[in-house]
Amino acid sequence: MSRRMQPEIEIRFSRLHKFFQRRHLLNDLSLSLKSGAVTLLCGENGSGKTTLLRILCGMEKPAQCWVAFNAKNSAGAANNGKANAPRPWRQCRPQLQRQVMYLHQQPYLFDGSVVRNLALALPRNLPAAQRAEQIQRALAWAQLDDLAHARAKTLSSGQMQRVSLARARLRQARIWLLDEPTANMDRAAQTRTVALLKQLKQARTALLIASHHHEIFAELADTCLTLKQGRLIRTP
Amino acid sequence: MQSLREATAQALTLLLHGDAELWEIIGISFRVSGGAIAIATPPALLAAFLLAHLEFAGRRLLLSLCNTLLSLPAVVVGLTVYLLLSRHGPLGDWRLLFSQPAMMLAQIILALPILVCMGHAAFQAGDRRAWETARMLGISPLRAFVMVLGEVRFGLLAAMLAGFGRIIAEVGASMMVGGNILHATRNIPTAIALETSKGNFPQGIALGIVLLGLALLLNLALQYFQGRGRSAP
Repeated sequence: MSRRMQPEIEIRFSRLHKFFQRRHLLNDLSLSLKSGAVTLLCGENGSGKTTLLRILCGMEKPAQCWVAFNAKNSAGAANNGKANAPRPWRQCRPQLQRQVMYLHQQPYLFDGSVVRNLALALPRNLPAAQRAEQIQRALAWAQLDDLAHARAKTLSSGQMQRVSLARARLRQARIWLLDEPTANMDRAAQTRTVALLKQLKQARTALLIASHHHEIFAELADTCLTLKQGRLIRTP
Repeated sequence: MQSLREATAQALTLLLHGDAELWEIIGISFRVSGGAIAIATPPALLAAFLLAHLEFAGRRLLLSLCNTLLSLPAVVVGLTVYLLLSRHGPLGDWRLLFSQPAMMLAQIILALPILVCMGHAAFQAGDRRAWETARMLGISPLRAFVMVLGEVRFGLLAAMLAGFGRIIAEVGASMMVGGNILHATRNIPTAIALETSKGNFPQGIALGIVLLGLALLLNLALQYFQGRGRSAP
């Protein structure tokens, strides 16, 4: 995997609005996601956290949203020395779908083995040897070696989450949006998941984590935002 | 008039001794209905998928229409196809009336609502995250669709079996557009109707046994696959 060769990336979302059943669910939000930065998103149930994440990854349409991409090369120089101008979300949707990865609260694993699930994230034209090597590395990274041929749908929540993280890592997404990644997990599984997320942060992946368990991610997060009555509030 | 016991005994003899005419009729039935299901299934499942996964104006109306068409009488379909294919009809130049393709066309029309409605229910009952995850992994829409089909395969198989059960047993449309011609368009239900009207009960009963056996087999298969679908974690 050529993860270290990838340029740094920043995506800025602004003037984000979303209505749900005549309610102004997301009201003029601005948000920035940057390589290596971890943002923790808190908020009560029904505050719109999942909807926000789904908009950011291009899965759900907002009423309005502007997106600006800013990529830096390895030497640290930005594209043309300045950020790209904001464009409507609709125009940026394909780019968002390529670069942003959304991970469901309860990961969906397809029928079949763990290896089959991981293979889905790799290009179909990848030579078999490279494919096997990358899958092996992903299994080792997520400490899933002993579960490689287990039926994915029979795994525990924590194991499923690790398969999901390994799969997303194989996809080489630059920005990850994680919806309650430690929900329904015991303490040991939570610690393993957080450890994997720390490694991702060190590998300069941008993470946005929506969670009620803010104490678990306090050490990892650079910024903490709370979604309240449609607005994003920066919390210490 | 023969007693029911005598007629049934003769029917079993006909079946077990491989009566050529009888087995030809059974063959025509399976060929026509199998072909109709094979042709109707791909577009019906695509429509079911779109109805389950897309939000668009008129979606609910289309679903209501499909549900209404579930109770479409076979003779009405037969009449419509007859008018379409008759010499002065819009498709008269195709010269398909009283042929197996005409019967297939009528059976496709009968099977489509069942496949769409049951397919839609299967996709709805399935997990929407399957599609979203596949697309998030950068998988093409076509391959993602095939993957989702695989995830809800038991429900879709149930739809296909139900559709096949409906069309292989229908008599009205096949009689009207097939014409019940021996060695050409005579299938199980039309043969039963004819033989019964002639008082030839053994052949009617023999064909009835085949239909009943088929219905039993389809139901057993349906229960087996639905059970597997439920037990799959």
